[in-house]
Amino acid sequence: MLGAGKFGTPAQDLDDLTTHFYASRKHAEPHRVLVEAQPENENENQSNDPKNYATFDFNKILKDEGGEDEKPDPNKPYTLGPKISDWDEQRGEWLKRNPNFPNFIRENKPRVLLVTGSSPKPCENPVGDHYLLKSIKNKIDYCRLHGIEIFYNMALLDAEMAGFWAKLPLIRKLLLSHPEVEFLWWMDSDAMFTDMAFELPWERYKDVNLVMHGWNEMVYDQKNWIGLNTGSFLLRNNQWALDLLDAWAPMGPKGKIRDEAGKILTRELKGRPVFEADDQSAMVYLLATQRDTWGNKVYLESGYYLHGYWGILVDKYEEMIENYHPGFGDHRWPLVTHFVGCKPCGKFGDYPVEKCLKQMDRAFNFGDNQVLQIYGFTHKSLASRRVKRVRNETGNPLEAKDDLGLMHPAFKAVKVSTSS
Amino acid sequence: MGQDNGSTFTTQKRSSGVGASALPTTANGRAAARTMIPRGRQIHKTFNNIKITILCGFVTILVLRGTIGIGNLSSSEADAVNQNLIEETNRVLAEIRSDKDPDDPAGSTDEPQFLSLNDTYALGPKILGWDQQRKVWLSQNPEFPSSVNGKPRILLLTGSPPNPCDNPIGDHYLLKAVKNKIDYCRIHGIEIVYNMAHLDKELAGYWAKLPMIRRLMLSHPEVEWIWWMDSDAMFTDMVFEVPLSKYTNHNLVIHGYPDLLFEQKSWIALNTGSFLFRNCQWSLDLLDTWAPMGPKGPIREEAGKVLTANLKGRPAFEADDQSALIYLLLSQKEKWMDKVYVENQYYLHGYWLGLVERYEEMIEKYHPGLGDERWPFVTHFVGCKPCGSYGDYPVEKCLKSMERAFNFADNQVLKFYGFGHRGLLSPKIKRITNETAKPLEYVDQVDIRRPVHEKESSRSSETKS
Repeated sequence: MLGAGKFGTPAQDLDDLTTHFYASRKHAEPHRVLVEAQPENENENQSNDPKNYATFDFNKILKDEGGEDEKPDPNKPYTLGPKISDWDEQRGEWLKRNPNFPNFIRENKPRVLLVTGSSPKPCENPVGDHYLLKSIKNKIDYCRLHGIEIFYNMALLDAEMAGFWAKLPLIRKLLLSHPEVEFLWWMDSDAMFTDMAFELPWERYKDVNLVMHGWNEMVYDQKNWIGLNTGSFLLRNNQWALDLLDAWAPMGPKGKIRDEAGKILTRELKGRPVFEADDQSAMVYLLATQRDTWGNKVYLESGYYLHGYWGILVDKYEEMIENYHPGFGDHRWPLVTHFVGCKPCGKFGDYPVEKCLKQMDRAFNFGDNQVLQIYGFTHKSLASRRVKRVRNETGNPLEAKDDLGLMHPAFKAVKVSTSS
Repeated sequence: MGQDNGSTFTTQKRSSGVGASALPTTANGRAAARTMIPRGRQIHKTFNNIKITILCGFVTILVLRGTIGIGNLSSSEADAVNQNLIEETNRVLAEIRSDKDPDDPAGSTDEPQFLSLNDTYALGPKILGWDQQRKVWLSQNPEFPSSVNGKPRILLLTGSPPNPCDNPIGDHYLLKAVKNKIDYCRIHGIEIVYNMAHLDKELAGYWAKLPMIRRLMLSHPEVEWIWWMDSDAMFTDMVFEVPLSKYTNHNLVIHGYPDLLFEQKSWIALNTGSFLFRNCQWSLDLLDTWAPMGPKGPIREEAGKVLTANLKGRPAFEADDQSALIYLLLSQKEKWMDKVYVENQYYLHGYWLGLVERYEEMIEKYHPGLGDERWPFVTHFVGCKPCGSYGDYPVEKCLKSMERAFNFADNQVLKFYGFGHRGLLSPKIKRITNETAKPLEYVDQVDIRRPVHEKESSRSSETKS
């Protein structure tokens, strides 16, 4: 039958208009399209050359072999996995049997696994993979200095929980496979460390299980959808965490469930635009509506930038260099600069390309300078890839001390056994 | 309603008649026509006109939006803006991908300063007594020991240039290669330094590893071994560990073949894509002796000629670090070779051609932990150069092989979590072990970090024949 849908309905009109102008309402900037610059005439001659990377079509490489996606049973509600109720006991026994894999490296220093990741397919944006590479180098540096292990995920464990929800099945799998890990630190691929000297205040968190950047009033009182940020958070490895993941997951399965959940979240949370359910909004909703169950083990940290929104930080780097020094982790010298909305891997971002990428370069260099200074170098400027020497080499290298004390920092020291 | 319609139509006809006659006639004529109609009727007529106009307009819009769509009503201006955005974006991307740097002094790109043939180059101030210095430091800093859990501390050094690759696919494989290294090093307790800076502008390109190796040795006395690995090399045996106990009397471990080296003097007798240097005076001295062929410009060119003349099979091109090392070890054999271990019992470096085709066969017949031709430790994509524009081999072959190697290795990591790739070319994974409520039973079986002797007892029957 014909139906109004083909010719357009007022509802569709409204949707069209809102999406067309949504971005401008939010940021006063229309969407920016990232397109590969394809020179039109060159392809004719080069396409015959099999050794030329420029003209190669990557779609020839990946092969989706064998088997369909597991079809979820529509009658069964979604679960992350078989229910486990005795994880604390299981884990405790394992730790006792494996004294070489302690969950605390030193007193007050838990074993931490930093988890991040990206798609196994190349980015749509031609420089996206380059920024992912710089971002992981940045994380490698911070984690090496602080004795933290890294898991870089490129696998989609559960097709139903694709997109921003993919971290949930992954986190659960990693907690259960690594009982020696005390804290799992999820970090988005578009977040970078900008304070290499700041060590997390582990003592502060000894009685909590989930640490996120955010504010109590914005979450519990206002139910603001950006009252907390799930781009960088800590989750302790215990039964509570498994239960939380189980409570968090139900809004995630893609399709009807996620769409409907999105509507609920938009209705219930302050300031939330219309789109499918995301993990962050779902967390706000979960905490705001079930504060009694979870609240006492959740720490909403605003004393330092466990997540730092890039928009208010990146222009101040020069000022910070002049007035402060690494180690603060807060507005004076942010621990993490998080490029929310930039989406350097995709084609569409919420911000102009130039601003995003240039600022990501600056943030990268800002962090990298703190690593390079260990070895006596620094970038020529925050915009430059080139480096220059700032400390001369001598014939007595062991006398050289870097200003930040990052060459042999205390937070990396191995426990010295007094017995044996 | 019918009455109205009738009156409307007649009104219409009359008003159009009035309209038609209004054009050629003067104001007088119009005024004359108007006075003929009573005022109330006139207002009624006007309202009816408006109604019809609105009705027609509504129908027109409905038809138009069904065909053109509402978005395009504002299209032409938006198109122009979009086009500008695309051009602006492309300009930004081109700038990022170029080698231009905002801090290059203006107008200096035409005359690069090279060292002349008479200049002597040094990596840095001569260090003496490094072994003793290091020993003293270690005794004073027990919280930074050179061994952890009984294993000597290793630092893996790798890197890539600071600018984007000539082709985006290059960066994608750099990313995959670093994930691969992160996985291996996490499992084996090795630290990684990923270098993206040119510390010494003289020693750019493949020579850039030399200043970095030296710098790391001197800054990290707690590191016992520095392991350089090329960005185009991937770990393909996640279980195998370098048998450091074999090398207690050696300071440089490098893959190669003694007969190719001493008898044939072949330029590919050794491979500097993956090698280990002990942190000691000997290594500093070797680096100092190795470096002089490196400085770019006339020195590197001339050195290239010497190397091509003296090494078998070497094409003519500027001096590279591998040829230079081979030449150095050959011409100063007595000084250095007793501390160099030329290793070929396992693939510390495994040339990719000949290995990648056999992955399926390996999966069927063998298992990780062997490190040799049955299950190569490292697969090294020499000559593929995905970060550049042109490789030595067809692109499709290189990229497919790199993807296969990556997935072959990734399967060994994913297995621990109960997953595996659907095929060696597939980015998608499938479950290979069901989840249970007792996950640690599986962890105990499969965990490759656990004491090796527990596993070896079950494998003692499988020895290399």
